[in-house]
Amino acid sequence: MSGSKTGSGSTPGTDGGVSDASRGDDERRRTLRERVTGRLRGRLLTALAVVTSVTLVAAFYYPVGTVLIEAVVVDGVPTLAVFAEILRDPFYFGELARLFAGESPIAVARDLLGPDRRLGIVGFTAYQAALSTVASVALGLPAAYLLARFEFPGRRTLRSLTIVPFVLPSIMVAVGFVATFGTNGTLNRVLGALGLPPVDLMFTLEAIVIAHAFYNAPLVARVMTAAWESVDARAVETARSLGAGPVRAFYDVVAPQVYPAVLTGAALTFVFTFGTFPIVLALGGFELATVEVFVYRLVRDLNYAEAAALAIVELVISLGVLLAYLRYEARNTVSSRGVRPLPRRSLVPAAPTLREVLPRLGLAGYAVVAGVVFVAPIASMVLASVTGGDGGLTLDHYRFLIDRQQTGAAFQVRPWPAIRNSLTFASAATLLALPMGVVVAVLTTRRFRGRTLVDAAAMAPLAVSGIIVGLGLLRGLVFGVEIAGWRFAATGAVAIVVAHAVAGYPFVVRTVAPGLEGLDRSLIESARALGASRARVIRDVELPLVWPGVVAGAAFAFAISIGEFTATVVLATGADAYTMPVAIERFIGRRLGPATAMGVVLLVVTGLSFVVIERLGGETRGL
Amino acid sequence: MRRVGSERAADSPDDPPAVELDGVTKRYGDAAAVDDVSLRVREGEFFTLVGPSGCGKTTTLRLIAGFEEPTAGTIRFSGESVAGVPPEDRDVGVVFQNYALFPHMTVGENVGYGLNFADPPEGMSRSERVAELLELVDLPDAADRDPESLSGGQQQRVAMARALAPGPDLLLLDEPMSALDAQLRERLRVQVRRIQSELGITTVYVTHDQEEALAISDRVAVMRDGRPEQVAPPRTVYREPSSRFVAEFVGDNNVFAGRVVHVEEGDAVDGERDDAPRIVGVDVGGETLRVNAAEAIDVSPGDRLTFCVRPEYLRIGEGESLVHATVESAEFLGETTRITLDWGGRDLVVRTRDPLSGEVVVGFDPADAHVIGIGEE
Repeated sequence: MSGSKTGSGSTPGTDGGVSDASRGDDERRRTLRERVTGRLRGRLLTALAVVTSVTLVAAFYYPVGTVLIEAVVVDGVPTLAVFAEILRDPFYFGELARLFAGESPIAVARDLLGPDRRLGIVGFTAYQAALSTVASVALGLPAAYLLARFEFPGRRTLRSLTIVPFVLPSIMVAVGFVATFGTNGTLNRVLGALGLPPVDLMFTLEAIVIAHAFYNAPLVARVMTAAWESVDARAVETARSLGAGPVRAFYDVVAPQVYPAVLTGAALTFVFTFGTFPIVLALGGFELATVEVFVYRLVRDLNYAEAAALAIVELVISLGVLLAYLRYEARNTVSSRGVRPLPRRSLVPAAPTLREVLPRLGLAGYAVVAGVVFVAPIASMVLASVTGGDGGLTLDHYRFLIDRQQTGAAFQVRPWPAIRNSLTFASAATLLALPMGVVVAVLTTRRFRGRTLVDAAAMAPLAVSGIIVGLGLLRGLVFGVEIAGWRFAATGAVAIVVAHAVAGYPFVVRTVAPGLEGLDRSLIESARALGASRARVIRDVELPLVWPGVVAGAAFAFAISIGEFTATVVLATGADAYTMPVAIERFIGRRLGPATAMGVVLLVVTGLSFVVIERLGGETRGL
Repeated sequence: MRRVGSERAADSPDDPPAVELDGVTKRYGDAAAVDDVSLRVREGEFFTLVGPSGCGKTTTLRLIAGFEEPTAGTIRFSGESVAGVPPEDRDVGVVFQNYALFPHMTVGENVGYGLNFADPPEGMSRSERVAELLELVDLPDAADRDPESLSGGQQQRVAMARALAPGPDLLLLDEPMSALDAQLRERLRVQVRRIQSELGITTVYVTHDQEEALAISDRVAVMRDGRPEQVAPPRTVYREPSSRFVAEFVGDNNVFAGRVVHVEEGDAVDGERDDAPRIVGVDVGGETLRVNAAEAIDVSPGDRLTFCVRPEYLRIGEGESLVHATVESAEFLGETTRITLDWGGRDLVVRTRDPLSGEVVVGFDPADAHVIGIGEE
């Protein structure tokens, strides 16, 4: 090996000779030095991976571990008694608890099918998650059909907008739903104006399911649209040329490729809605408590052992679904390079035939439903924020916020600190989540043994109860830990930032990894052969090419942080580190008006932040 | 099966080969993609690895580039082992089949990328070096263009310029032309060879196209199942294939196998020349064909012998070993017509100027037959 590239080798245009005499000891010494620095450069990625792992352990695995351990260690003695009790308690597991208590499965099954069955909290949580999943798929499917198969003005915008509900702060959505479906909500006012009797959807399962669909149907639509668009028109044409009719070709060629995306959307929806918290807290209260709400309640009652055990049960179920999905995904990943997508049809029917008109009529009906579910809550919130008790227009609620800012007592929630905290935390959390997410994405897109395990470990924050993360950070970091005689303690604000970063970085991984996966390996190898180290290739080639994904990841991390409620509400107790969502929750408990006003403020701040992120990141090709 | 003849040129022991593979094996699980390969590429040589897909040629190239580490064996550059040296420190230039131009950089930035890690030659600025390389590949005005706006052939040349810009010691080309159409491919390979000779840069070229391999190389390694079957200059590979596989892979060929019925001691004078040409009669399908077995020293009646005759040496109505065959099919190729004959259930391929039909007599001179091997197949 001749060491440095400089001056060595042949030179176009010259004779290509190398004066060997001039290279000598000097060259050899240089070679040694280069090799040493080369080693160090080669380790940079490893170093980054170690830093990421340490952060994850310190900010997630350790704090969560300290909480979860309480479920199995009571008074210093390892025990499974807490678990056994939860599993056998009909309050948690309903009829299933009797199964765990040793009763005959047949008797249990009969009662489960009976009308008086008790689901228990876990059962109810799974039940509402399943209903929400069905509703989300039902609502997302027509949207995917519309977005993937039709061409119309604003299609791209609409496609981009499907990301919006997912990143809207959940507590704000809850406020929007109260403003829409509450006793004095928009829905009842419309019904009243039409002379119809009012309906009370508040604190019902329906409200929760619709709110969950609001959140997750666009997600389902997104993944399905992407899958549908990556169906190669040539595959359909081949099927048609082989004798399949349009319907048969759809079932044989299109459906099998879109179906995995439906499962993806469904699995994610189930996991998200299984761990739901703010929506149920605001729309269901403790009467319709899910596991997460009950964990929160147990934590408030300082019953940590039971809270931890219940959180573990929740984690096992969520992680099970997530792992099953990841396995499925790994088996069903198909490359969609060089695909010619199916041609889009016009929304205006080409001919007045049934086959042309019927789907379009269906979509028109769907548009009405989608309008009620997606637009009404936000519109109602904005409307409610400028509507007084007498129904007239007023700015009283905003005036209330300003008054509170000026004259509020120290213990009261004031708007400006909430806005300031939210922005600071979100910026800091994004800055932390971005490198973590990129490093994990780089690692998990490489081939090595145990990759799935690393993938799952890195994705675990998605499945772990935010309450437990918050509690773990509160007791592990904020109250301090002692390591080798040194005491480490973080402020509530730092803990919140860390919790938000941990919650947000999986989304960075998810937005960056597909781009990395799709990168041509020979691009990386070319850069390396030209002299770039592995770390340098990431900087020069891989990051620029997946940059839109990085920007999208940043937007996600920012939005997750700004809307994060669960861990924040635990960590912000007693501190003045409350954020906008926490402020909304404190207002909503008293009066809806100021909560909706605060919700509008949150909406505006979030929207502006997105514009800023997009500007900072440069051109992004769709989220 | 014993092999006969072939590798003749020996390396001078004084200068170590530019690239040397010594017992190199690369396994993926149980399968060996490259199986105990030993090769030497001389300084300034244009060396080609050719073979059907899955023969291990690309893996061999990737091992040399450092994208893969061998499971066993040693790779040396100019006598020094490169084990554990990452690709960026190997001073190699690589051109891939799909060119792998960085889509987010202009052509000029692509060509200049390697200059981030190596200085341009003395007295030359970075941009001068980029311009020089683009000039070299006949794309002088392309620096500001977007790589995706270029045609396949132009992209290939940019990739070439990019690989050469840092002044590598070794140029590695992995099927750089297989995505191009035939005419362009022929034009480009002349250009690639011209650039290579101009720079005198040691080059390892991978292709599945035997014609390209013969046209462009100083020496060729014909690979099969992870091993080189024959390493020799193109003419030798073509005229004196060392195995039936090489004989059939490189160009059109007629391979015959049969038992030796007699050995004519030829014109050996007083036993002075043991390796003097001698004619052997070989029984193939009941006909005795006379073959010049110059280098087949240990041949005696009863041995099984495999030999080949190129289509251009099979002549209609001429030659010594005449056989009767019928025309089965003909492909008009322009310059010649390629005719497949049926001779007692065997296919014979001949090339003629004029079309043929019906029954014909074909023959060849003993000197135009090449003995591939002796012994059981």
